[in-house]
Amino acid sequence: MSILAKKLFRTIKTTRGQFLAVTAVVMLGITVYISMSTVSYNMIQSRDLFYREYNFADYYFQVIKAPEGVIRQIESVPGVIRATGRIQKDVPVLRENGERASARLTSYPLPMNTEVNRLHLLSGRLFEKYPETGEAEVLLDPQYAAANRLSPNDKVTIVAEGRQVSLTVVGAATAPEFVYPMKDAASLIPEPGNFGIFMVPHNQAQEILNLSGQVNQVVIKIAHGSDEKKIAERVKNILEPYGNLASYPRKQQLSDAVLSGEMDQLRIMARFLPSIFLGIAALIEFVMLGRMVKAQRSQIGTMKAIGYNNFQIMWHYSSYAVLVGALGALLGSLTGILLASFLSRVYAQFFNLPEVISGVSSLALLYGFILSLSVGAVAGLTASRGVLAIQPAESMQSGPPRGSGKIFLESWSRLWHRLDTTWKMCLRIIMRNRFRSAVTLLGVVFATGMMVVSFFFQDTVNVMINEYFSQKYDYFVRFTEPVKESELLDITRLDGVTRAEPVFEIPVKIHFAGRTQEELLIGLPGNTQMQRLKSQTGSDLRLPDRGLLISSSTARKLQVRVGDEVQVETLLPLGPTRRSNLKIMGVSQQFIGGMSYLTLAQTNLILQENQLISGAMLKLDPGKAHLVENKLNDMTGVSSLLSHKKEMESFAAQMDYMYYYIFVMVAFAVVLGFAIVYNASVISFAERKRELASLRVIGFTVQEVSGLLLKENLLQTLLGVALGLPFGRLLADYYIQAMMSSSDLYSTYTFKVVIYPLTYALSALGGIFFIMAAYRLAVRGVKTLDLVEVLKTRD
Amino acid sequence: MPENVLMSLKKITKTYTMGEVTVEALKETSLDIFAGELLVILGPSGSGKSTLLNIMGGMDLPTTGEVYFGQENMSRAGESRLTHYRRSAVGFVFQFYNLIPDLTARENVELAANLVDNPLPTAEVLREVGMETRMDHFPAQLSGGEQQRVSIARAVVKNPRLLLCDEPTGSLDSHTGRLILAMLRHVNLEHGSTVVIVTHNAVIGAMAHRVLRMSSGRIVEVIENASPLPPERIEW
Repeated sequence: MSILAKKLFRTIKTTRGQFLAVTAVVMLGITVYISMSTVSYNMIQSRDLFYREYNFADYYFQVIKAPEGVIRQIESVPGVIRATGRIQKDVPVLRENGERASARLTSYPLPMNTEVNRLHLLSGRLFEKYPETGEAEVLLDPQYAAANRLSPNDKVTIVAEGRQVSLTVVGAATAPEFVYPMKDAASLIPEPGNFGIFMVPHNQAQEILNLSGQVNQVVIKIAHGSDEKKIAERVKNILEPYGNLASYPRKQQLSDAVLSGEMDQLRIMARFLPSIFLGIAALIEFVMLGRMVKAQRSQIGTMKAIGYNNFQIMWHYSSYAVLVGALGALLGSLTGILLASFLSRVYAQFFNLPEVISGVSSLALLYGFILSLSVGAVAGLTASRGVLAIQPAESMQSGPPRGSGKIFLESWSRLWHRLDTTWKMCLRIIMRNRFRSAVTLLGVVFATGMMVVSFFFQDTVNVMINEYFSQKYDYFVRFTEPVKESELLDITRLDGVTRAEPVFEIPVKIHFAGRTQEELLIGLPGNTQMQRLKSQTGSDLRLPDRGLLISSSTARKLQVRVGDEVQVETLLPLGPTRRSNLKIMGVSQQFIGGMSYLTLAQTNLILQENQLISGAMLKLDPGKAHLVENKLNDMTGVSSLLSHKKEMESFAAQMDYMYYYIFVMVAFAVVLGFAIVYNASVISFAERKRELASLRVIGFTVQEVSGLLLKENLLQTLLGVALGLPFGRLLADYYIQAMMSSSDLYSTYTFKVVIYPLTYALSALGGIFFIMAAYRLAVRGVKTLDLVEVLKTRD
Repeated sequence: MPENVLMSLKKITKTYTMGEVTVEALKETSLDIFAGELLVILGPSGSGKSTLLNIMGGMDLPTTGEVYFGQENMSRAGESRLTHYRRSAVGFVFQFYNLIPDLTARENVELAANLVDNPLPTAEVLREVGMETRMDHFPAQLSGGEQQRVSIARAVVKNPRLLLCDEPTGSLDSHTGRLILAMLRHVNLEHGSTVVIVTHNAVIGAMAHRVLRMSSGRIVEVIENASPLPPERIEW
């Protein structure tokens, strides 16, 4: 080993605390980078493979009903490779426990070979076109099957066309479009117990739904490189006579949107966090090595006198940072690979991808190393450029005492003179080491900001949930088809129902100034007492007699304002399409989903109907809730029954994963903050050992000297914490912005960044914790400061 | 113990262990220091003179033997007692001044003044050492001699009974060195502080009431000087 290498390793040994602290920061950066990019790489590979092999559609078209023959016509459109007609409809399921669930009945033409959106059998066998038993066979999505403990040969009962139909379970299957089986964008999360995908042969679906020879959905594959929009327009024209309800490209398909959103998040994380960590590591290295070069000025002079050249010496110091980078990258790669294999499994399970690729991306590893080593090399070479200016002869003399002169604060002489001498000392030291102080400050700001971001998500979700679930009803009942308002009496009369309010939900397209947005209109009684409507400022809104309270997310997307007039176009599967103009009377704040409100009278006006309703909100006597639930479940006219309480509980249960996330993020923030404060304190302590020893000699106690260092430390770090809190809020805003613009899915949510005071308090406390821990560890040398030794030597 | 003995060192030894080698820096040394005297300790490097000074100043404890300051046995004192002792009874002047670079001359002196209950007035002391016009300068703006004067002021402001100086002229030219010595003598005469100067520069002995010569950890000679010379007349 060369002499310089030996010297390097000894330096590392004597500064091992600092060395390890910076290494830890680099390691975290690389861990996040490797794990997130590997998971995202694996997921994209698995997804693309799955999509390709199972012929995932490029475009969806929903109609009321169209004859099967229309498929040939669509396939003749140039650019359309293949079109598949099928039936997809949500139907109620009667579960064995008497409760209701909802099934998305989806049909598959047999044989499936070249069809679009083929399914992938996970267990059991494929359904038959004409089973011997005469009872239709069904394949379930695995989550629903697991949640309801259904296995082959079990029966499930659905309600279709007013009658109960029993289906035989033959296995479990999935498909590219059901990777994330969520009912609609308004559901926050999948509820596998209450919503399932029921896959049946096409002929059976036609029979069950009385749609013989018909389809209600067309899915197409488009040739690579053709104009998707133009093709979609032509297909829509063909489907026009059959009640074209909706059409959307693959990226707006819910499952794909969620999956892409998740990939985007991973990608954002894979860039964002490592940049912070490596950037801060570089700054710490820069400060450390800069100080080392200064402290070893005479040694450098000696090396030069002996004949080492500038580059050899600079490289010697830079090697320190490069070694930090190497060790950080090595450890980070190991933990990153471990974390990636764990996360890949979790994600694959979560998204139910049949073929999980869990490779190690050697490219990510390579990038990780290159990134980490070059950050080290750049920081090292920049920091040690001071070597160039050192002249051998001059360097062996001792320099004058360090910088002097007044700092700007001293111009406020009245204030300045009131300060205690020790405060003056601390302030001057901070101002004179401006760069180093700035690095410490920056590090603390980031670490504290990260804590705020880690905690804030919980607050925001909490507020969203509270608002979302703050409605005053206990149950939301949807009917299989619109009924006369008077029929609500049947429900109102049930023992245990204390109050019922009618609702009419109409899916619509809202057009404004050439823009179009799908939306759910909700008609309510003018004096509704069960639905709470809030304005964007949080005040209660009254339902206007005329006009619409538009949802905030839709208002944003359509760029409409109060007073504008929009056109709504109904998308009901029954009856003709109706168009109607409505004036925007207000914007209602909603966190989840697009729902706009108007009076029931107006919904009927739009549909040119009278006193029709599609569901009801119920308030129940708590003691009799179960009774009412059973009765409602028995009513064939009831399509679904949502219990407010259950919804909330299942949501809360899903949010448990958030605590892991918070824990990991907070741990990262603590390491980051610790490393930076520790290094700054060690450097400042090492640099001032003589000074501190002289203070001890003239009679300062250990406490007084530590207190001095603490004052100096807190002046910088507490400012960092104070700035870190609002910075965290900015980061949170940025994060939400990035998330909302990253995918179509999140654009239906309106995330309001809410941060409780407790979160700020916790973050500040976390900040103070890492500051004090780092400080204590760094200055434990004050106690053992060798007064005799330090004063003898001249640095 | 006679009334005018300020400090008494009885058979003190000091051994350091450096790796596998044991160094005996002081070998059974006894010494009385009298109140109000100006004592110069001479010796080449490694003779044990600095070790002796460090023990007197409460920066170090003897391995064996006893140290009395007044009636109090300091050789068993704990860290906080020693700190208190340094704080209230001792002033230090170092070869390399050891001023706090981030404090002005005045503030360096104030820093020490704040440690005791009845300090001398800061401005007064700075005037005594001839620094009244440069009080608001930082150490980096002062010459070596000026820094040492501030260092003396810092030691004196506490009005210590014992002023310990370790090679106070070691980094200065002879003219400036003489000025500094004159100041130390001034402190000895005007404030009545006992002054102990450790140096390898033998001529400084001429200004002392007593001169101790040390060699290899022992006091080899004690010279009483009936008529000390004023420092201005010392030549080197």
